[in-house]
Amino acid sequence: MPNARVLRDIKARHGVRANEIARRAYLYVARNETLSPQVRHHAQLQLNTFERYTRPTTVKNRCIESGRGRGVMSEFGLCRFQFRLKALRGELPGVSKASW
Amino acid sequence: MASAVRISAQAIRPARLAALTQLRCQLTETSYNPQSLRTGAKYLRARLRGPSMVGYYPDGFDIAQIVRRYPELEMVDEDEEERLVDVMDRKKRGKGAPKKAKTKSDSRRLGKKR
Repeated sequence: MPNARVLRDIKARHGVRANEIARRAYLYVARNETLSPQVRHHAQLQLNTFERYTRPTTVKNRCIESGRGRGVMSEFGLCRFQFRLKALRGELPGVSKASW
Repeated sequence: MASAVRISAQAIRPARLAALTQLRCQLTETSYNPQSLRTGAKYLRARLRGPSMVGYYPDGFDIAQIVRRYPELEMVDEDEEERLVDVMDRKKRGKGAPKKAKTKSDSRRLGKKR
């Protein structure tokens, strides 16, 4: 069972996917300088009505093993400690402990 | 020679140059935007990020979910059963969770000393 922060992040990811096209349409209108200011303003107000977990910025790549939010290596999706554990166990192909 | 070319380029009226640019845009099928206004096209052009976002966490093997989804298989989630037995044991020893307060005066919070 993933921890609460991971569950929240999963919720945000699904929210982003469900609302992405509508948000993009409003963004297009709101940022379009060739349209009238009133229309753009209304589009911006509509953008503001979207709930929190529909914004792509609320999504954070957390550790897929432990759920830790900091020190996550994007290449492996693991935090530094889980990365070390897995690498030492030999579960990460091409990763070995350096020694010289 | 080069200076002569430059002088002649300056002599062309801006309107003519604009018409040239417009024609060029028609031929190359690009939009003519002389004032460089923001059209918001980049929000339509960008790829959708949602589908790849959803697949970030790998699907774990969750027995409780499978038990819930297929009740006809009559599988037993052993961890859950054990937890329920433990809770029953604790209740028998009088160590269970307290009753929910029905009114505000029942609330244990009021009696708490700070």
